[in-house]
Amino acid sequence: MPRRALIAIAAAAVLAVAIALSLAIGSRTIDLATVWQSLVDFNPDDPEQLIVRDLRVSRTVIGIIAGAALGIAGALMQALTRNPFADPGLLGINAGASLAVVIGLTAGLTGFAAQVPLAFVGAGIAAALVYAIGARGAAAGAPVRLALAGVALTALITSIINAVLLVDDATLDQYRLWVAGSLTGRQSEDVATLVPIVVIAVAVALLVSRQLQAVGLGEDAARALGINISVIRAIIIVVVTLLAASATAAAGPIVFVGLAVPHLARALVGASLPWLLVVSGLGGAALVLVCDVIGRVVARPSEIGVGITTAFIGGLIFALMARRMKVVEL
Amino acid sequence: MTTKTLRMGALGITTHRRTFVVGLVMTAALFGVFLFALSVGKADITVIDSLKAAVGIPVGSPGDFIVGQVRAPRAFTAILVGATLGLSGAILQSLTRNPLASPDFIGITMGAGTGAILTMFLVATTSLWIIAAGATVGALVTAAIILALSWRRGIVPLRLILAGIGIGFVAQSTTQYLLTRMDVHDAGTALGWLVGSTTGRTWTHVTVSATVLAVLVPIILWNGRALRTMEMGEDTARALGIPVTASRAILAVSSVLLAAAATAVTGPIGFIALVAPALALRLTRSAGVTLIPSALMGALLLLVADQMSQLMPADLQFPVGIFTAAIGAPYLLWLVWRASRGGPS
Repeated sequence: MPRRALIAIAAAAVLAVAIALSLAIGSRTIDLATVWQSLVDFNPDDPEQLIVRDLRVSRTVIGIIAGAALGIAGALMQALTRNPFADPGLLGINAGASLAVVIGLTAGLTGFAAQVPLAFVGAGIAAALVYAIGARGAAAGAPVRLALAGVALTALITSIINAVLLVDDATLDQYRLWVAGSLTGRQSEDVATLVPIVVIAVAVALLVSRQLQAVGLGEDAARALGINISVIRAIIIVVVTLLAASATAAAGPIVFVGLAVPHLARALVGASLPWLLVVSGLGGAALVLVCDVIGRVVARPSEIGVGITTAFIGGLIFALMARRMKVVEL
Repeated sequence: MTTKTLRMGALGITTHRRTFVVGLVMTAALFGVFLFALSVGKADITVIDSLKAAVGIPVGSPGDFIVGQVRAPRAFTAILVGATLGLSGAILQSLTRNPLASPDFIGITMGAGTGAILTMFLVATTSLWIIAAGATVGALVTAAIILALSWRRGIVPLRLILAGIGIGFVAQSTTQYLLTRMDVHDAGTALGWLVGSTTGRTWTHVTVSATVLAVLVPIILWNGRALRTMEMGEDTARALGIPVTASRAILAVSSVLLAAAATAVTGPIGFIALVAPALALRLTRSAGVTLIPSALMGALLLLVADQMSQLMPADLQFPVGIFTAAIGAPYLLWLVWRASRGGPS
């Protein structure tokens, strides 16, 4: 069996372990036998099985969707911009989605059905801005510049969000819980609307991944292979927007998953984009679930939202990466 | 181009005539807005009376209190904090040779925010002093972590930015966690602090800001020549006898301390440190970093933003941080637009 397939299987195994942890661990730890029973032979009279079925399954599914979407979106953006710091969270795409959701909240659009399209619009605008910085002109291939531009864009969006929140206490109350990136509090039927979007986006990404990789080799080479570069780029931006907005709508803004996971995946599977997408998706889902489990455990009996744990852990990893990085640009 | 040299021992400041004139114009504008800030408000007080009251000469009218205890300290705070932020940003942008580098974005300000919110959370206080102390500690601890992470035989600016971004996220996530643990009223107060405000600042705040500037500005100007020379490249600077590692460390630490002091006094006011040095650079058409014009521009921008925030109608009374963001946003978008057109960085 080729090495890459083995790595993909290993990533799937890690995800399986993360799923088991996510189903079993919480304010009440449930042993794996009961978890298994609740899935294959559900007994509605057992309170522990009810916890698993009613609370933890939907939470775990949201974590998988958000994590996989972010991991794949990150890998796609890094390939598109040829920039190792491209991450939908770091670059402000998730913040754009947040801003749209906040504006929706002030207008009384609280339902999930309203938040999803809003998140798509906000993420789309931010993605277009970030792409303008990251992939064109003098800034192309300047990683630090892109990272800073993303942080600056996020700061700008955050101050607009703050302005809205300062005049509206009710919105603040809902927003501060939403922004913490909690996997709880979404209904399973809400999640069901996101699954097809994410699945279609991922399928499209896999379909065009070979062409995108060819674009990465250089525009002339890609044209020689008969690839329409602008079409491929436009498709990828739409896919990234759909993925990042779905993740944000499901779990609030989450940073660094789209940055760290593709990095690790690239070290394992090399530059092959289709494999990179598969492993990044599996790894992203596993990372979000593990971060969520950590958030449930460290502050017992209360919980820390997954957006906070990923930013904390991811920020540390990022800073340490910066320390190890060889400085070529100076 | 005509150059003008002022010599004061080692502190020789060689400046182009244009820089000198722009500096004078900015100082005049600053004084004009300052007079406006003192005399115009809910109670109008004559310019002469307000100037007297601001320096402590009793004028025997409500001006003694309104100007002497409210408007003057607030205006001085805005000027000093604005200058502090402008300087901090100018140093950082020059060291990193990146127009987007600013203490707002590389973790320092976020660390100060975490320190302040943690203080509010732990001691449930609204005292500006205790919060300021918390913010200072937060900024210094964050800066120490960032500097420790980016230190490897000296400070490499690029690594400083990246480590700062990472640690900034760590600090911000901690702040957000604390916000979810507060009750909604306290969270509102905390959020208000987090956008930065100049209301209710006293003469003690002015003294603190002035002291920090008085200590750091000579050190920075002393290293100003090194800063300008290092912009020509590390090797050139070394060849010209600049102790690159030491100068860089001193300047980076000064920039961090300035940002920490500014944040402790007013809370994190964004975008001044980003915009002021860039505007100063464009106005003076200087080839390299311009420290004093950057400080003047920072002071002017923050004082103007503060006036805007006071002149808004009562139901739109946002803290000044929202207005500096409104000034910073067009500049940021312009940077983006120019980058997308493939212009020079």
